Amino acid sequence: MKALRAWIEDRLGLRPVAALLAKKEVPCHKHTVLYYTGSSILFFLGIQIVTGVLLALYYQPTLAEANASVVRIMTEMPLGWLIRSVHSWSATFMIALVFVHLLGIAFTKAYRKPREATWLTGVLLLGSSLAFGFTGYLLPWDELSLAATKVGTDLPKALPVIGTWLTRVLRAGDDVTGDTLARFFIAHVSVLPLALLAVLGVHVFLVQRHGMSVPLEAERDKVKLPWLPFWPNFLLREAGVWLVLLGVLLTVAVFLAPGIGPQADLMAPAPEGIKPEWYFLFMFQTLKLFPARILGLNGEMIAVMIMMAGMAAVLLLPFIDNRPFERKGKVITGLAWAGLAYALGMSIWGLM
Amino acid sequence: MGADVSRRRALAAAGLLLLGALLASGWLEARVQEPAQASLKPAADAPPGPDKPAAARPAKEQMAVNVILAWVWLSIAVLLGLLRMRVREADRVHRMGLHRAGEGSPGPGH
Repeated sequence: MKALRAWIEDRLGLRPVAALLAKKEVPCHKHTVLYYTGSSILFFLGIQIVTGVLLALYYQPTLAEANASVVRIMTEMPLGWLIRSVHSWSATFMIALVFVHLLGIAFTKAYRKPREATWLTGVLLLGSSLAFGFTGYLLPWDELSLAATKVGTDLPKALPVIGTWLTRVLRAGDDVTGDTLARFFIAHVSVLPLALLAVLGVHVFLVQRHGMSVPLEAERDKVKLPWLPFWPNFLLREAGVWLVLLGVLLTVAVFLAPGIGPQADLMAPAPEGIKPEWYFLFMFQTLKLFPARILGLNGEMIAVMIMMAGMAAVLLLPFIDNRPFERKGKVITGLAWAGLAYALGMSIWGLM
Repeated sequence: MGADVSRRRALAAAGLLLLGALLASGWLEARVQEPAQASLKPAADAPPGPDKPAAARPAKEQMAVNVILAWVWLSIAVLLGLLRMRVREADRVHRMGLHRAGEGSPGPGH
C-alpha cells in the first residue's frame, strides 16, 4: 500500500492537495447548513453522469427510434426504468439544490467582494443545469415533450433582431424535427457537460481561493468563529448527508417513476394541458398572463425582454449591490424574498 | 486497544451486512429477470397505446425492488452509525487540539 501511495505521489504530486485539505477550515455558524448544499449538488451531478452514461448506452436519438428506445429501456433493460427514474429525479433534486444554494448566497450577501466571480460562475452553472433540463425533456420524444419544446424554442422568436435566427439555431431549422432531437441530444450529452465541468472547475477553484463566507455580523465585528477541520470532521458529516440523500433519491425513484407518453407526431396538434418542468413553470405562467399586444407592441416580446432583464440582474447582482460586505442590504434581501414569493406563487398557479 | 477491537468488529459486521445485501439483491434480481423480460417482450412489440405504463414491472420485480430498497436503508443506517462514531472521534481529536499538533495553535473547538 505504501509503495502504491509513493508511486502515485511520484507521478501526480498530490501532496499540496492533501496539505490544502488538511489546512482547510469550515466556519461554524447559523448558516453552516448552506455549505452542505454545494457538495450535495456535486453528489447529484455524479449520479447524473453515471445514470446518463448508462441510459446513453441504449438510447437512440433518431425520429423513428427515440421514443421506442426509451420504452425499451423502461420495459426490457434490467432495472432500466429505475435508472431512468433515478436520472430524472436526481436532476430535479440537483436543480432544486442549485436554487437553494444560490438563494442562500443571495440572502447572506456572500456574492460581494471578493466573491463576484464565484457568483457569476454559480449563476452560469444554474443556467447550464436548466439547459440540461430543457434539452433532456425532449429526448423521450413523446407528445408532451415535443409540444413543450415547440413552446420553449418559440420564445426567442419574440426577441428583436436575433430572435428568428436564435430559434433556427435551437431547432436546427424552422420547426422542431428529428434534427432538433439530434441537436438537443448532442447538447445534452456533449456540449453542456463539457461547459458545465469547465465552469464548475473555475467555481470550485474560486471557492477554495476565497474560502467560505461567514455571516455579515461576524465579518463586521471581526469575530473569529468556531471552526471545524474540513478533513475529516466536515467531510464525514457531508458523507452522512449524501447517504441520506441517496436513500431519499432511491425511494422517490422507486415509488414515483416517470412515465412516457405516446410517440410524438410532428403533424398532430398540441395536446391539452402542456406544462414544462417545474423549474420553468413560473416563466410559463408569466407568459400566459401577458396579453398579445401592449401599447401596440408585441406582448410576448415585452414578457421575454422583462424576463431577460431579470436574469441579467441576477447575473450581475454583485455589481449592482457592490457595497462593503458588512452592510446589510435590506433592499436586495427584500427583492430576493419578493422574487422567491413570485416564482413560488406563479409555479403553484401553473400547477393548478 | 478495546476500542480498536470493537471498531474492527463493527466494520466487519457492516461489511458482512453490505455483502449480504448485495448477494440477496443479486439473487432476487436473477430470479425475477428471466420471467420479467419474457412477459414484457410482447408488450414492447405492440403498437404504442395512449398511455404506456410508467414502469412496466411485474409484481415479482416490484417485490424484489422493495426488498433491495429495505436493504439499502438498512445499510445506510449502519453506515450512518459508523460515520457518527468517526465524527465523534474526529471532533474529540479537534477539541483536544491534536488535529494540528505539529502546526501551532489549535482551533477554538465546540
